[in-house]
Amino acid sequence: MNAISPHTSAPRVASAGAAVSLDRLGGVVAVLIGVALFVAPFVTYRANRIVAGEARMLLDALPMAMAVGVMSVALGVALVAATIRQPILRLSAAALGLAVIFLAVGRAPGFVTPPGNTFARVSPAFGFWLLTLAFALLVADSITRLRLGPFARLAALAVAAAAMAMLLLSGAWDGLSLLKEYATRADSFWREARQHLFLALGSLAAATLVGLPLGMVCYRVPRIKTAILQVLNIIQTIPSIALFGILMVPLSILSAKVPLAAALGIHGIGAAPAFVALFLYSLLPVVANTVVGLEQVPASVVDAARGMGLSKRQRLFQVELPLAFPIILTGIRIVLVQNLGLATVAALIGGGGFGTFVFQGIGQTAIDLVLLGAIPTVALSFMAAVILDAAIDLARGPSRD
Amino acid sequence: MIEIEHLTKRFGETIVVDDVSLTVDEGTIAVFVGTSGAGKSTLLRMINRLIEPSSGRVLIDGQDTMAIPEDDLRHRIGYVIQGYGLFPHRTVIENIATVPRLLGWDAKRIAARVEELLDLFQLDSAEFAAKYPHELSGGQQQRVGVARALAAKPALLLMDEPFGALDPVIRHKAQEDLLAIQRRLGTTIMLVTHDMDEAFHLGDRIAVMDQARLLQYATPAELLTRPAEEFVERLVGTAERPFRLLSLARVKDAIEPGPSQGEPLPVSATLREALSQLVWTGRESLPVTDASGAILGRISIDGILAHGRQPA
Ligand SMILES: Nc1ncnc2c1ncn2[C@@H]1O[C@H](COP(=O)(O)OP(=O)(O)OP(=O)(O)O)[C@@H](O)[C@H]1O
Ligand SMILES: [Mg+2]
Repeated sequence: MNAISPHTSAPRVASAGAAVSLDRLGGVVAVLIGVALFVAPFVTYRANRIVAGEARMLLDALPMAMAVGVMSVALGVALVAATIRQPILRLSAAALGLAVIFLAVGRAPGFVTPPGNTFARVSPAFGFWLLTLAFALLVADSITRLRLGPFARLAALAVAAAAMAMLLLSGAWDGLSLLKEYATRADSFWREARQHLFLALGSLAAATLVGLPLGMVCYRVPRIKTAILQVLNIIQTIPSIALFGILMVPLSILSAKVPLAAALGIHGIGAAPAFVALFLYSLLPVVANTVVGLEQVPASVVDAARGMGLSKRQRLFQVELPLAFPIILTGIRIVLVQNLGLATVAALIGGGGFGTFVFQGIGQTAIDLVLLGAIPTVALSFMAAVILDAAIDLARGPSRD
Repeated sequence: MIEIEHLTKRFGETIVVDDVSLTVDEGTIAVFVGTSGAGKSTLLRMINRLIEPSSGRVLIDGQDTMAIPEDDLRHRIGYVIQGYGLFPHRTVIENIATVPRLLGWDAKRIAARVEELLDLFQLDSAEFAAKYPHELSGGQQQRVGVARALAAKPALLLMDEPFGALDPVIRHKAQEDLLAIQRRLGTTIMLVTHDMDEAFHLGDRIAVMDQARLLQYATPAELLTRPAEEFVERLVGTAERPFRLLSLARVKDAIEPGPSQGEPLPVSATLREALSQLVWTGRESLPVTDASGAILGRISIDGILAHGRQPA
């Protein structure tokens, strides 16, 4: 049996092969930047929230001087990407590029909207997203090449998050359609954010509380291991919508028969089935990784521990669990990233979370509303992955080979 | 003193250790040899009760091990295995301190003991104390493994192929170090090995096992001169017999009066070393000196060869 491991971790490129792939990536980034600048629109202008929009190229989206400035910076980054190999320079260039386009796009609404018009919506268009993608690729690639340690990666994340928060709080983006959507539903945004986190983190906590002991039991009693893992595997293959459906029946019966359950807010539809479904999906990675983590503790280490007179309990807490911890943490990372994404689906059965905006937006064909739900979800998953990867590196620490 | 009485282990139908009885005297080394699967490890592991005997018993200084709680028993017996089983997430210091910590020694006493052991095993504490096992060479890991087993001053040390993973040079050094430390501390040792040279070098007594049975338990010289069964004779190696006998005897056992020429030999050298020197220098005899350099007599090829001969 294999431990479940994340597939998103960046590949470690050997320095010998680096030169080739570096040029290739730099070339791709340069082409993306070129397409974004000269072929794709920078923003979309719509007379109101739901009508079809008209594309505006960079030169029509910003005051002339600013547009030229953005263009020169972007071309400069393309040049750096294609010709310079030093990761620090590439990182700085890409960061500068991101800062410039993020600030610039905030100025577009004021420029393209006729004065006094409050219905018109301006949102970033394909070209903007393409530039963001190109710069982000360059950032990610340089950070991988720099082989930053866990603390440096956490610091980089903190800096990026702080910069983004400052940008949002400064009001520089208030004219953008996305922020207008936010402004009209700020209260519900934060409520759904809390609900989203509650669903994702709460079910993770529950799965950890149940899954860790379950994994330890499977490790100690191989007989039941296969059975438990098979059941969890089957659950994992049930599509989320189907699982919600399956859970509705017992939960509504529970709610009807047990007044306490109803009083606690447990119903056939809403947050309860979503929470339970996320919990069930989370069990397999936690249990499987706990078992594999414990099983990969070298037999000689366990034998020596027994021979020195460590009791079962001491062995578990002083030797087996500490040595299994990095792999268990890998399971938790998978669950966290998976849950942050899956919690979106909870909105389908009235469970709340960022999915509420996504599905409302789809219903109203209001793409900005979809983004209001989708962007925070992606950002949360990304941050969770970076933070837990750093934690896993730290946990591996001294015993790494 | 360790007394093993009619110790037997069955796994289902198969008998893995069959009615083994033997005694290991205080402060001596008993070495266990035999083919793979003979039951050596099982026998060793029944002493600290990692494996529960099917029948028979083990007495340590007269006390039945069954009367001692399992973990207490193991705290009192050092245990070293092939691969050492060092804790990869703990430093050298923390590894060595394992049993003293379990026993609740105070921090000062533990620190002093660890320092003492690092010194004894020639591990520079400034350099090694904070290192993790994967940062050590095989020989260093081995020394930490033994130091850890000796940390709580056990009267008995069980070693299951402790030098199996070392290269010949390091292995020889490790054997010498173990002998020196054992003489100094007076620890009783039971050691399993596949290396007959090691067995003859270290063992005060050697136990030969085959197919779960103890065939012979005797001094190295007896094993050579009076093998109990053909299997023992074969295991000991017929071609090696005289040379092993010579390794067991010292120059003082074959010293003769009279003068001689050439580079003198120390009286403490083995006869094998003396013979080697005689062959190499092409002489019939060499003078023998004591530690102070005074001539005690001479040693001759004929005198040496008589010691390697089959007893009448
Ligand atoms: N838990 C067990 N269940 C069943 N049989 C076992 C068990 N442990 C050991 N055996 C068997 O007992 C026999 C003796 O094993 P043991 O490990 O004591 O041999 P050994 O003399 O140490 O061999 P080696 O020199 O290869 O280490 C082997 O045939 C082995 O397969
Ligand atoms: Mg063995």
